[in-house]
Amino acid sequence: MPPSRESMQNRGDEDEVCPVCKSSRYLNPDMQFLINPECYHKMCESCVDRIFSSGPANCPVAGCHKTLRKNRFRKQTFEDINVEREVDIRRRVMQILNRREEEFDSKRAWDDFLEQREEIIANLVHGTDVAKTEADLQKYAQENMRSIRANQALEAQEASSFQARQTEEQELARLRREAVRQEYENERRELLAGREDVLSRLAAGRPGDAATIAREGQKVLLKKSSARRSEEDRIRQKQAALRNSDARKAGQAGITAADKAGDAGDTGLIKGLKRIKTPEPEKPYDPFGGMVPDKRDYYTLRDFYPSSYLDPIRQDTRMQAGGYDLREYYSRTLLEAFAGLGCFIDEEVSEREAANTNTVATEGAAIAAASTGPAGSA
Amino acid sequence: MAISPLPPQSPSTATAASDSAVKFRAAQSSANPQGNTSSPLITHSTDRELTEQLNDDVRHKYIKDKKLGEGTYAVVYLGHLRADASSFVAIKKIKVNAEYKDGLSMDAIREVKYLQELSHPNIIALHDVFSSKDQNLNLVLEYLPRGDLEMLIKDGNIHYGAADVKAWMGMLARGVWFCHENFILHRDIKPNNLLIATDGEVKLADFGLARSFADPYLNMTHQVITRWYRPPELLYGARQYSGAVDIWSMGMVFAELLLRVPFVAGNSDLDQISKVCEAFGTPTEDNWPGVTRLPNYIPADKNHIVPIQGRDFFFRQFPTAGPVGADLLMSMCTLDPRKRSTARQVLQHTWWFTEPRPTNKEDLPKKSDGIQKMGNDLTRRGGDIDDNTFKNAARQLDFNAKH
Repeated sequence: MPPSRESMQNRGDEDEVCPVCKSSRYLNPDMQFLINPECYHKMCESCVDRIFSSGPANCPVAGCHKTLRKNRFRKQTFEDINVEREVDIRRRVMQILNRREEEFDSKRAWDDFLEQREEIIANLVHGTDVAKTEADLQKYAQENMRSIRANQALEAQEASSFQARQTEEQELARLRREAVRQEYENERRELLAGREDVLSRLAAGRPGDAATIAREGQKVLLKKSSARRSEEDRIRQKQAALRNSDARKAGQAGITAADKAGDAGDTGLIKGLKRIKTPEPEKPYDPFGGMVPDKRDYYTLRDFYPSSYLDPIRQDTRMQAGGYDLREYYSRTLLEAFAGLGCFIDEEVSEREAANTNTVATEGAAIAAASTGPAGSA
Repeated sequence: MAISPLPPQSPSTATAASDSAVKFRAAQSSANPQGNTSSPLITHSTDRELTEQLNDDVRHKYIKDKKLGEGTYAVVYLGHLRADASSFVAIKKIKVNAEYKDGLSMDAIREVKYLQELSHPNIIALHDVFSSKDQNLNLVLEYLPRGDLEMLIKDGNIHYGAADVKAWMGMLARGVWFCHENFILHRDIKPNNLLIATDGEVKLADFGLARSFADPYLNMTHQVITRWYRPPELLYGARQYSGAVDIWSMGMVFAELLLRVPFVAGNSDLDQISKVCEAFGTPTEDNWPGVTRLPNYIPADKNHIVPIQGRDFFFRQFPTAGPVGADLLMSMCTLDPRKRSTARQVLQHTWWFTEPRPTNKEDLPKKSDGIQKMGNDLTRRGGDIDDNTFKNAARQLDFNAKH
């Protein structure tokens, strides 16, 4: 535990004194206090420079034997050093235990995880079971390096996209204001121009036309303004559509990143994580759909078989020109000659009956045909 | 079929229904025929034919819900399994036609004959066949509610890219390859015969013009395949041909997927020939030995011979496919059927492995209102161009523009 410094905090700025070199702000108005998260002992900048410039050294505060390094010193954010310390611990634990809600099976598991994290933080803050908790945390960090890093990246991405959205919204609002102002200006100008036009025409025209000219002028104005309005509507819709598509894109990117995230499933520390199934690598495309072309068990096919039966065909150019191919004949004849070899219907039927799921009508007929024999003789 | 490695895709889990006839028979052969309480559906007289009994069992497995579409040739209903109301099927009821007084129409027979042999993810599954009253033939087909490729090609609101085309072509090529591997020609490949399942899988449907091939002394008809997708050897009246005819159609579908209009759309067979010549080059004895001996060969105008188009023509016409894709398309649209790629060669092409990787079937662009479309597709008779919506679009293609 850091030493209590209530007495010092109650004093005014003027009297603030560096606990190491005892120089006060009164003498050195630019004095800055720094702390090191190892022990949270406060000291002034010049002390840090003096003691730690030549490398790591022990903390100069009496009774504190922590070895400190210069680069870890930083400014204090919170006045209460306890708060400062808890925030640091919290930040560190959160960085390691950075699982996201979508990684958990259920709401319950997520809540359990949050509770567990708070417990770990509390342990570290209040110094209960520190060694074991630290060890657990380190082990977890090592085992889940990848998912931690992925979630960090995800967080950074979310933050930046939020930022981008904010600026975009501001920009849009500015544009809208601009557009409205422009619109108002245009309308006013047109109104004036129209009025002027009507006036000049009235001046030029005969007295009888006055009413018509006035009416026409009104109409023209109306038409113009309605045309303008529809044009504006169109632009606005376009912009809205654009915005939506952007938002959707961002959402999709987030999802894919989340998919990539996890690696290990349940680890020792966190329970209830979703099982992450790695997608099977895509098999190469098989044009034959799993079948093997030219698979012949009982014979090989030759290009030529001497046969006087087929000789006329070999000479018939007309048949050849039509595309008739004797190799197809060879292949069919041989296939039909050997068809059925290696098929054992008994076995197939008994297997199928054992499975007893699919019974086809033709099979029923086959069995029926088999049973008609004894039935007829009986 | 010998090389069908996949199990049948029947959704029927109602084992009781299909077994009941067997049990019935067994019970009959035993001493106590009245003790058969396990099959409540069977309330008919005992002297009924076993085949009728089996047919009834199959029929009772399904319930027809509503009509999806009606054509001159068939009516398609939405149906589901009696045992499971969530498993949908399409029931195609073939009309008893005045044309075929003595039996069933050829299309129906072909469809049943070939579909029941083929079991592949890219070919529509035929679950069951049964006959209803007055001897109507009913085909229980896989339910494919996402419409067809034609619908996607025509819909201007749907955008798709090279990866999607590659995925669709891959599925189509696999289906065609499987047919050919089992020596079945589809002979009517076109975008509206390529139906799409709920998971995005493309399925080859309508086997009304299919037949087996490779028999050397059996003539086949050249009046097959919808005109725009018909290869030049059929336009020239060849009576013996091979799987290459389906590959040409596939190439045309490929081109159509890339252009979003039919690539070569003739108004008549003659017009189709001249358009093919203009687009791909004039067939001559040099580039297609024996072509002049084909039955309906029309000698080309000597002054207007278009040279065979090279790789860069395809690359210019179909930049979306990329140079490798253009190469594949060229190999599928070679005039001489002997030089055309086979389905296996198509699948072995390097295009499938170049970037972009084919889209996963679940992520392919889709439309939801395809049920009606399925009804229409399944009722159409093979080989017809069903409407004229493409007529104007086709005229915009000007092949002379390249000069």
